[in-house]
Amino acid sequence: MAAKPRVGIFDFTGCEGCELNHLNFEEQLLDILEHVDIVEWREAMDERADELDIAFVEGSLSTPDCITRINAIRRKSKILVAVGACAVQGGVNAMKNLQPIEAVREEVYGEDKYLFPTLPALPLSAVVKVDHEIRGCPMTQIEFLKVFTALVMGKRPVETDHAVCVECKLRENECVYDKGMVCLGPVTRGGCAAICPSFGQYCTGCRGLVSDANPAAMEQILVDHGLAAEEARKKLQLFNANQLEGTQS
Amino acid sequence: MDRLLLEDADLFRFIAHLVACKTVYAPQRKGADSYVFAPVDDPQAVVLDYPRTLHSIKKYFLPPREELLSFNLRSNAFAAAEVEPVNAIFLGVHSYDLHAVLKLDHNFSQGNAERNYLTRRQGAIFIGVSYRPDRFHFGGSVGIPVADTTGCDLFLHRLDRGHVVEIVSDTGRELLRGLDLPAFTGELPRTADFEQHIYLPQGKLTEVFARGYQSGIWEEVAEKCVGCGTCNLVCPTCYCFNVEDEVDVSLEGGSRQRHWDGCMLREFSQVAGGEVFRNNLAARQRHRVYRKFKYISDQTGEPWCVGCGRCTAYCTAGISIVNIVNRLVQEHDWANAAKL
Amino acid sequence: MSRSQLLDPAAARDLYSPVMAEISAIEDLTALEKLYRITLPDGAELGHKPGQFVELSLFGVGEAPLSISSSPTLRGHFELGVRRVGMLTEMLHRLPVGARVGIRGPFGNGFDLDALAGKDILIIAGGIGLVPLRSLINYVRDRRGDFGRLIICYGSRSDRELLFDAERAEWEADPSIELHVTVDRGSAAWRGRTGVITTLLPEVELDPRSSVACICGPPIMYRFVLLSLRAQRLAAENIFLSLERRMKCGVGKCGHCQINGSYVCQEGPVYRYSELEALPEAL
Repeated sequence: MAAKPRVGIFDFTGCEGCELNHLNFEEQLLDILEHVDIVEWREAMDERADELDIAFVEGSLSTPDCITRINAIRRKSKILVAVGACAVQGGVNAMKNLQPIEAVREEVYGEDKYLFPTLPALPLSAVVKVDHEIRGCPMTQIEFLKVFTALVMGKRPVETDHAVCVECKLRENECVYDKGMVCLGPVTRGGCAAICPSFGQYCTGCRGLVSDANPAAMEQILVDHGLAAEEARKKLQLFNANQLEGTQS
Repeated sequence: MDRLLLEDADLFRFIAHLVACKTVYAPQRKGADSYVFAPVDDPQAVVLDYPRTLHSIKKYFLPPREELLSFNLRSNAFAAAEVEPVNAIFLGVHSYDLHAVLKLDHNFSQGNAERNYLTRRQGAIFIGVSYRPDRFHFGGSVGIPVADTTGCDLFLHRLDRGHVVEIVSDTGRELLRGLDLPAFTGELPRTADFEQHIYLPQGKLTEVFARGYQSGIWEEVAEKCVGCGTCNLVCPTCYCFNVEDEVDVSLEGGSRQRHWDGCMLREFSQVAGGEVFRNNLAARQRHRVYRKFKYISDQTGEPWCVGCGRCTAYCTAGISIVNIVNRLVQEHDWANAAKL
Repeated sequence: MSRSQLLDPAAARDLYSPVMAEISAIEDLTALEKLYRITLPDGAELGHKPGQFVELSLFGVGEAPLSISSSPTLRGHFELGVRRVGMLTEMLHRLPVGARVGIRGPFGNGFDLDALAGKDILIIAGGIGLVPLRSLINYVRDRRGDFGRLIICYGSRSDRELLFDAERAEWEADPSIELHVTVDRGSAAWRGRTGVITTLLPEVELDPRSSVACICGPPIMYRFVLLSLRAQRLAAENIFLSLERRMKCGVGKCGHCQINGSYVCQEGPVYRYSELEALPEAL
């Protein structure tokens, strides 16, 4: 990349919390802004760009219009980064996919449903090639910094593919299970420095499953710790409905 | 005069005396139900009657994260990180954790001796303490009884209302100067029995594990295992580490860091081209157990597992290394019986 | 275990600080591979054996293990053949001549030159396996009298991926070298043999009593090559394989390169086939 990379920030179906998290960088924000030219960001400016070096995209795809838009963003961007659980794996939106889509449409829109075409909530990768991912709900700030600095350096970002447990153990955290709670850390991708367990909350799995996850064993662990089988399944489905078997669309 | 009496009433005075000599690390409460070694500020916070700490004292000699060197990206220059001797008193160490340190000493001294670890090891004084084995401890099965004083400078044997202070080394004796503790002339208290045992036939470690390579136990364990890496990361004799460069967001500089890694993680054996050389959980479980009971043991004649029980206590899937090894022993015995 | 096991740190070394060296030349070998000439400060010798590797450092990126591709008889610098395959090698491929890189090493055991002395050497190189074997080949050429026949069997996926064109021409022209080359699939321009590397082996007549084989290539290749060599009655002790694993620290501490109980960066990467019986994970 010559000169400063031209960056665009986009959102689809989501809460925009990931974008908000961009602004939460505080001390690092100035350094970040120093390295790039933000040329398109609907939330903060009016301008648009025809060509981008890096597109950061939040949100999942849930309407035909989304498909059109994401293809356009992909065409004009050298690198496309999926930001946040919705963009990376579908996020909480994907829980919709566990039920027949027509039933969902009826429930939400009633008689006017014919006005609102809808698709199953999809990750960006279902439609376009995604070059890199920043996981988390909201996106994990330290991972954003890692990916961002790597891209500006021209280096391939390394993705985290070990369980949150690794990071809890490095921090010598008391295990959430020993506090009488249950936790999805054992099958959830780290890279967040185990932030939730470190502050007394259990891991809800927002960063998605590790690539070699054993969901059946994880459900068994939850059941062994007092959950009914149905509850255990639902815990995993909260952020990972698309990744588990039995997803309808 | 090798045994002195330290009554509970004198305990805080004893600890305060130690704190006045050097930095003291001792077990203290953490969270709802856990303990960690931490610097002692308040002697009253020290807990000497505890089942286990989250990390062993390994964390002081091989820290979970450590900077190896720092670099400047503009000048492409670097500087090795300064490493300081720990130079502290470790109060209340269980025998299995001390043995683990001695095993790490071996690992970091032989072959390419590593300066970082060996520098940190300097100046460490160890005060052991006895413990009441719970359902996870099994040190006795791997040659490490509760009251084993190997490697200690002093050892505290728990009594009804105090401890017997056993002087094990001259450093320990020196440490007690000025305390004027009375002599103890009674019998050393009997330690509680272990609840968990590995039934390792004498001198048969090699045979059991030679046969065990093909056992069906590995696949069985793999079905329950989620590959989270906890067992590696809590083990006091594990020392595998990963090295990564971190860059400041200013892009001016950064550092090369190492942190604990584990062979149970899939990426552990993955090369740049993508190939993963130990690509299933069964193989990784087997490798982990063999590192503890065969590979290093073949050379040193000792198990490399110290029976602390952490891997089993902290495994959310309830996988027990004791059960695995006992199963291998059983299969070995059956196979031998079948030959008769 | 007694306390006397603990070594004085003054007797230990800083294992992780690299020496800064310069990229003094770069040659494009193929679309994916480049050959780097590395010069140490004051032209110091690396002091390596054929079959060893170094850890090359790019600050801010990391380290990668790279096989040394030149013979120690090449003085004043050493060569690394690098395929662009991961994060570090991608960055390395963008660096110009004159760029400075960190070097740690040499690491590993290298080929057992005493065991090879006086023997007929059969080199079997699959694809990028030729990179470390080139170090041995050129060593044998430079010490030609110390060895018997030098037979090179080299196979690649396609002619476009063949390495070291100019040097191969030298080997071809050298009457004391028997060179056999094949590609799995040839392009329209290819005039040489096609077929997998094992098709070359039956043509080589070996006296198993005075021959050794030195093999390096992709994991899948080893099994078939070994079958062929055993059929030719070559003893397991006389077959040397260079195995790849994830080498990271290079000094036998970090654990990533383990094959069963063996640290590949210490007891390998070169193993006799007879040693691999105790290492079931090896192949």
